[in-house]
Amino acid sequence: MPEPCDTNPETRLASCWERAFLAERPSLSLGLFRIAVAATVGLHIFPTFLQMEDNYLSTAFREYNPLFFTAGVLKWVDGNPDWFVWMMAGVFTVAWLAFLLGAFTQIAGIVMDVGCYYFYARNCLHIGTLSYDILLVTVFLMIVTPYPGDSFSLDALIRGDPEPWRRSRPIFIQRLLQLQVAATYFCTGLCKWTASGNWLTDNPYYYLMHSPPEGVIKAFSGRAFLAAHPDLCYAIGIGIILCEMTLPFWLFWRRSRPFAIAAGFIFHILLVVTMHVPTIFLFLFPPLLLLFVEPESLVAWLERRRERWRLQGPARLIYDGGCGFCRASLARVQALDPTGRIGPVDFRSVNAASLNPALTPEACHARIHLLETSGRLSGGFDAFRRLSLCLPMLWPLAPLLNLPGLGLIGAPVYDWVSRNRFNLLHRFHACEENACVRPDTPVR
Amino acid sequence: MTASRKFHISVFVVLWLLVFGYESLRYNYLSRWFHADLPKVMFLFPPAGWIMFYQVGDADGRAEVWGRIGDRRELIDPHRIFATRWVGYDNIHRNVLITALDPAYASAFGRYLRRKFPGYDGFDIVEVWTPSVTKEPDRQIRQTIYHCD
Repeated sequence: MPEPCDTNPETRLASCWERAFLAERPSLSLGLFRIAVAATVGLHIFPTFLQMEDNYLSTAFREYNPLFFTAGVLKWVDGNPDWFVWMMAGVFTVAWLAFLLGAFTQIAGIVMDVGCYYFYARNCLHIGTLSYDILLVTVFLMIVTPYPGDSFSLDALIRGDPEPWRRSRPIFIQRLLQLQVAATYFCTGLCKWTASGNWLTDNPYYYLMHSPPEGVIKAFSGRAFLAAHPDLCYAIGIGIILCEMTLPFWLFWRRSRPFAIAAGFIFHILLVVTMHVPTIFLFLFPPLLLLFVEPESLVAWLERRRERWRLQGPARLIYDGGCGFCRASLARVQALDPTGRIGPVDFRSVNAASLNPALTPEACHARIHLLETSGRLSGGFDAFRRLSLCLPMLWPLAPLLNLPGLGLIGAPVYDWVSRNRFNLLHRFHACEENACVRPDTPVR
Repeated sequence: MTASRKFHISVFVVLWLLVFGYESLRYNYLSRWFHADLPKVMFLFPPAGWIMFYQVGDADGRAEVWGRIGDRRELIDPHRIFATRWVGYDNIHRNVLITALDPAYASAFGRYLRRKFPGYDGFDIVEVWTPSVTKEPDRQIRQTIYHCD
């Protein structure tokens, strides 16, 4: 790679291009952003599914967007029978869930995007807003590559990568998303005083404060005061333009970036507190702003958290290091533990009884154990139950795993898997290339 | 990273930036400069660029739906007409009902209203126009745009 101090303009340009778009950097920001995008899509689309008759079926009152879709597409979608619409709703729901969880992320994202388009074409009356167009552009960038599924995803579990957040990818998707949000702010400000915008020649903010109670402005405290002060409203309008047009530069300048992100957050919170605008502005834009945080900073933050847990003494997960299936399972647990709350201990290389007298070789051989910092020891299915409480990424599963009575099924199933891990599960791909230890292998 | 991969990513980035820049400026700037209605990239990007509340006037326009039973007329709550509820905002406040004022939708909207409110004999779709929300907020001009029977 050329040195940044190279004086040759061509080389310098190539170097800048390399750093801006091609440099391989951690992709965990995109993994987190994927969750925000999925949440935004879900919050925007699913409410319309609760009124299918009103919104999408043949009984609905529908509006079309001929500026966005071609006539052929609109005609085809319009002619679809109700059963097809229901099927699309089902397909969209499954794809959305898979994208949220990061299962087959790229394919799920593409199918989800097709669903977004389908329901937009079927009826744009409720969901078709400018913010939805922004969302579609964002989703497009999120499905061009599989990078958003690298971390915080089921894909990471399927791969068995114990530290998916370290995975590096070309930075271009994150950079294009940064440029997208920056351009959106800038052009929004620009259009307010050029094009047909009237924010310099008139007092739009003052008019908004006077909009009727059934209008777009919410009844927030201070509205009456603003409505009585046109000069203040005009100044606020100018301030909004200045913020929108300068925010992109503050975001790209490293020193001002934290303040710019904070200002952006405040701006979007104020927007939804004071106006009836789609919550895309709240659920999508702040995460877009967070894409300006350097991914290395996030990795460093995770490292600090891991170090803190290491010093505090993490909970110990005592496993069988001689079993490929167990090692592969451990890698998946570690992928769910980015902050290092769990410290794995192979009972074959460490005297586990020194941690807790109940951890005899026979006990460790029979099942996995979790020794928490409080001294609480649990084994087998109960260890998984406790894990779901220890690891934040498993919290969504915790209510299910900890259902009273589930142990009646879970414990025998776990014990069966444990007993058969050296024979039936020996076919597991993680065992194919290692020398699995047979159950009769001596243990320390 | 291989040179081929770098090349493909670079081509994608350049194309994307060109299309993104074009669509951000096309409607409000490029079309005016070239005195031509430049073509839009279909299936992506808003029709007129990134324009949020860029032009707000002193006037306000809304739609009302009145249900008729015999000689009696009653205003129908727009939340009953479009019952979809959203998290954090209300689409009725975003004036979603105003679409129904377009006479091109008269037939479809009438069919929809008859299904939703079978108890009414017919409906009047009324435009409510406030010429100035700052100077005369109480002065509202009502005009029936069409009837659905």
